[in-house]
Amino acid sequence: MFMNFGKMFGASARALNPMDEILGINLRNALIQRYNPRSAIERARDKVAAKVALEAAGIACTGTVAVIDSHQKLADFKPARDMPDAWAIKPARGSQGDGILLAVRRDGNTWYKGSGAPLTEEAVMHHIQKVVDGGFSGDSAAEDAALIEPLIIADPALANIVPEGLPDLRVISLHYTPLMAMVRLPTLESDGKANLHQRAIGAGIDMETGKITRAVVKGTPITHHPDTGAALIGFEIPGWKRVLELASRCGPAVGLGYCGADIVLDVNDGPLVIEVNAHPGIEIQNINQEGLKARIAAAGEDFR
Amino acid sequence: MIARIGQVWERATPQVKRPFYVGITVGFVLAVLVGLGVANTSSYFVLPSSLEGVATSQAIWGLKPSKLLMVLPLGAFLVVLARSFVGLKAFGLFTPMLIAVAFLQIGPVMGPLVLCSSVLVGMIVTPSLLKLRMTRVGFLGVLISLIVLVLVAMQLIFDIKLQVDAFPVIVCALCVERWWKQWGKDGAKPAAKMALNTFVLAVVIEFVMVSDFALALIEWSPLLMPAFTAVAIGVLGRYRGLRLSEIHRFAPIWLERRRQAKFVELPDTVSEDRRTGQPDTRREIAASGCVPQLAGVWAINSNADLKPDGLQPLPWVKPTLTPNREAQFAPRIGASGIRPAPARSPIYNSWIICTVEDV
Repeated sequence: MFMNFGKMFGASARALNPMDEILGINLRNALIQRYNPRSAIERARDKVAAKVALEAAGIACTGTVAVIDSHQKLADFKPARDMPDAWAIKPARGSQGDGILLAVRRDGNTWYKGSGAPLTEEAVMHHIQKVVDGGFSGDSAAEDAALIEPLIIADPALANIVPEGLPDLRVISLHYTPLMAMVRLPTLESDGKANLHQRAIGAGIDMETGKITRAVVKGTPITHHPDTGAALIGFEIPGWKRVLELASRCGPAVGLGYCGADIVLDVNDGPLVIEVNAHPGIEIQNINQEGLKARIAAAGEDFR
Repeated sequence: MIARIGQVWERATPQVKRPFYVGITVGFVLAVLVGLGVANTSSYFVLPSSLEGVATSQAIWGLKPSKLLMVLPLGAFLVVLARSFVGLKAFGLFTPMLIAVAFLQIGPVMGPLVLCSSVLVGMIVTPSLLKLRMTRVGFLGVLISLIVLVLVAMQLIFDIKLQVDAFPVIVCALCVERWWKQWGKDGAKPAAKMALNTFVLAVVIEFVMVSDFALALIEWSPLLMPAFTAVAIGVLGRYRGLRLSEIHRFAPIWLERRRQAKFVELPDTVSEDRRTGQPDTRREIAASGCVPQLAGVWAINSNADLKPDGLQPLPWVKPTLTPNREAQFAPRIGASGIRPAPARSPIYNSWIICTVEDV
């Protein structure tokens, strides 16, 4: 696949030295410094602002129930009236999944978490209050916005290969060119979270076919999901072309040159962008066993 | 142990070996500088109070307090080296350098002792301090008073005067804060690792700062050291290659590549691989017709050809070569670590008979 890329951009392939095909943190930081302006990084960090920018560009995002960014709005908000049956509350400036509350079903005015624990109306209001007060927003103790979204139900094709949780795709792109992709599959050990540090599976995806080529848990290659036993190698991501299209437009929509788009596959709406990351990690290379630098070079970057 | 290292070395790919040599060289230079610094240390267990007003750094290493400022750029250089070349994770940006200067002000043994005891006390009191929900400034203020408390207590216990400047106290307080932040973010083990990194880096910087090399540079001209390090940091700051820690992180990619390259499937017509490690594709090349034809020989394809009049030499056909200029630039991305196959003549599907004996 990659040979074709190389031929397409024959001129830039000359600069490539097979000795260094891996993108290191130093070079990644240089790319970010060059292509990601400060304002765009700030926008990407704020989920609400990023969503506004993405929707303005006509990119399919996850839906929005409400954005609560002030105590005024908080006072007017009534969960029993305004909330759907299943939802997710996220802090706009939270990091690493901090402060995300999920409800999967509703019974009267009580919602239930995925674990089955009940959430009363007061508990929900208390959580939103904490988010708005900036309780999950890292060092800056300033106010934050609570973003309330309808719960995403994963595409059955993907949902069937994981025991619980929502798998998400990460596509790294430079300008309009998607470079490398992986899917993060939750495991029982990762507690349903698609976080590689918590022993979720990272699976490299072939950019042309959308098929999983390699799956890794914490550096150990695997072929089948440890919990469901589903074969991973060769699994084709449904709607791959659409994923690529979304990923290629995400960065420019937010103003980022080099970015990582987090995409989920919804059962009804297909691929939806949940987040755009201005500082995408480089671990994806270990998962795909491919060098990002080589692909960036093939996309026409001269590293000057 | 040595056999194990030998094994690892056997397996190492060129991508690993080259940075390793560079790393060894840098490590060696640093070790020499640290050795010089250690050799320069006249006494380890001296207490600042016994020096009768002479600054610790001057009494132990002959580094005047006014010259203390000039070794700072050297510390900054080492911090940049550790971060962007080695990939060492340490607290803060220049915290290791500040700790090193604090060590210079307290002493080679007393410095780490003071730092460790104050961090220890900070660790014990911080959980209860955090419950009070103070601002960062308030938190740091309380930490500073507590660290001073610890220092005074140490003076009382040792029954001597441990003269410590204001600067090391602030550095200790900052260390405690960093340590807690990291603990809360990553958990105990990574935080402890980072603390160890910071400490080792600080000790290395401390001894490089007092090595003959640094002292001679300062002695020579006060301008030389800042100018020299500014240029060096400028060059190092432009470094865009892999960090040494990333070499270790991504080494599996190269190893796996090479392992896969060894097990490339053989073509159908080839049953055994006579070369080591690489598949024999010569028959395929011959079959594909891109090789020059054998001219002026007799080709025997069937029994009919063996009749006296049936044998005809192959006609000479001028090979049609189409130049492909781009071929030389074709990327060999998948081929990293694999040597290109040596140019060998393809195998022809015919016997070449030159004399009667050959039949």
